[in-house]
Amino acid sequence: MISVYYFGAIALILIGLYAILVKKNLLKILIGLSIMETGVNLLLISIGYVSGKSAPILSEGIGPSQAVDPIPQALVLTAIVIGVATTAMALSVAILIYEKYGTLNVEEIRRLRG
Amino acid sequence: MNGQYAALLIALPLISAFFVPVFKGMGKNAVRYFLILVTALQTGIAAWVFKEVYTTGQPIIVIAGGWKPPVGINLYLGHFAALFVLIIAVVSLFTAVFSISAVKTEPIDKYAMLFLLLMLGATGMIATGDIFNLFVFMEITAITAYALTAYNKTGEAAEASMKYIILGGIGSSFFLIGVALIYGSLGTLNMAQIAQLAATMDPTVAQVGLALIILGLAVEAELFPLNAWAPDAYQAAPHPITVMFSAFVVKAALYAMARILYLMQVVESWGSVLRLLIVMATLTVVVAELAALRQKNVKRMIAYSSIAQIGLIALAFALGTQAGVDAGVFHMVNHAIVKALLFLAVGYVAITLGGAELEKFQGLGRRMPLTAFAISVGAVATIGIPLFNVFWSKIRIILATLNVGYTWAAVLVLSASVVEAVYYFRLLHAIWFEGEGERISESMVIGLMMLFLAALVVVIGVYPDYVWELARKAGEDIFNVAQYVKNVPLMGVGA
Repeated sequence: MISVYYFGAIALILIGLYAILVKKNLLKILIGLSIMETGVNLLLISIGYVSGKSAPILSEGIGPSQAVDPIPQALVLTAIVIGVATTAMALSVAILIYEKYGTLNVEEIRRLRG
Repeated sequence: MNGQYAALLIALPLISAFFVPVFKGMGKNAVRYFLILVTALQTGIAAWVFKEVYTTGQPIIVIAGGWKPPVGINLYLGHFAALFVLIIAVVSLFTAVFSISAVKTEPIDKYAMLFLLLMLGATGMIATGDIFNLFVFMEITAITAYALTAYNKTGEAAEASMKYIILGGIGSSFFLIGVALIYGSLGTLNMAQIAQLAATMDPTVAQVGLALIILGLAVEAELFPLNAWAPDAYQAAPHPITVMFSAFVVKAALYAMARILYLMQVVESWGSVLRLLIVMATLTVVVAELAALRQKNVKRMIAYSSIAQIGLIALAFALGTQAGVDAGVFHMVNHAIVKALLFLAVGYVAITLGGAELEKFQGLGRRMPLTAFAISVGAVATIGIPLFNVFWSKIRIILATLNVGYTWAAVLVLSASVVEAVYYFRLLHAIWFEGEGERISESMVIGLMMLFLAALVVVIGVYPDYVWELARKAGEDIFNVAQYVKNVPLMGVGA
């Protein structure tokens, strides 16, 4: 029986991939990219989950043995920031494309050929 | 001197990138000369690391923050990293000098910052010993590369950058899933410890994880079918940036691919991943050479040629033998020199004559003899004619391929070389035997850089032994994983 977390995360990745492959509007493609990144982050965080343990912060009553794996949380924190930076970069390029081409339809943005 | 100073290879470009806005107030030229100063310093540090590693024969391990691996992150500057960090620094120095005359229209301060971060990202990818840190450095490289591709702010540049961002975004997501699978099954992110524990890994998980990581890196490494962004980006990016893309950004991704691949060579399903990579690499060579044949824009043509050479390197790395890896590293060094020379010369022509279409190159032999000579040396060397450096590495790759028994791959790659000869000779014909023209005065500094690179091509072509020896040691560094694990001081694990 596959865990619901894994199933959900992989479903999100596939939904994002589907949007990137099928949609024609550039902004919808970028939304797909964001959804895919969210799915990857969820997958990473669910790998570190240990059933019944609490957040990995040392405080009263919670020792090192009662916490979930802290490493994936550090990884996800980094990956979220990277994802936001990529999205910001992509959106600024999308603005530039709209200024130069007057459209966001990927089938009409075709000046570079060969 | 203490080996930990090698951390400056990462720290110097990072700090300098933050100091660029300070120099911006002192005028545009201050930023330009600051860029040259920093890359020159970086070359000095890289040369010191190179000398240190090759004289002692021991890698420099930089331990971040005093936490020994696998708890902390370590940098591993072995024979390979020392060689390529030096190449990255030297190429960056050349492109920084080239940037003085090449980048005039758009703001130079942002350019300088992104330039330094691109250099930092590539250096980090080659030096790191931690798989997630590799991802972070890969993203630094990728995001700066997206921004630099769109730097000219034309419609074409924006289009090329957008393609690169979407493909790169998918690629990095795949890479991260691969990292998640490996971490989930081994519980470590340190490369040395991954190699140590790889034998205990479930073959299916290892196969899927490795395949996802290779697909993710293939976007940066320009392997078919994930390389559609590359020719567009090469055509639309500023000319100095094209030199950097071709000379080391691709190489960093290829190295990362080879490193992770060979870390896991004890896994049962390893052979099937190698076969996938061999098919991708052979297709890259064939498709790129055929596409280059029908190009009208010279920069785009050389971009396709560069992709084809990358396919050759990937083929050599995918053979799974010591001979193949050595040949691949040798080809990486040669290709970095030759393509830096070609893109430098073609970029210079495009700046001077205002465009890189084939018609602009007619009569170049009379108008700009020095540049025309540099392009000719680069073109002849890329085809792989004896007495030029690429001949030696190409023949070693073909021999290594035949030794493993992939005759079909060797035949396809060799036939692609014939196609390559056709379009390069068409370019040479246009340069030397067509068109008329007045003499245009050429820049001394850029001429000297081109002559230096051209001399390097010929010297390595006539006396290949010294560089081959360097490449052999660097190849050993990738292939011999047992030695790699032994070199990294793993705290209390398996010892």
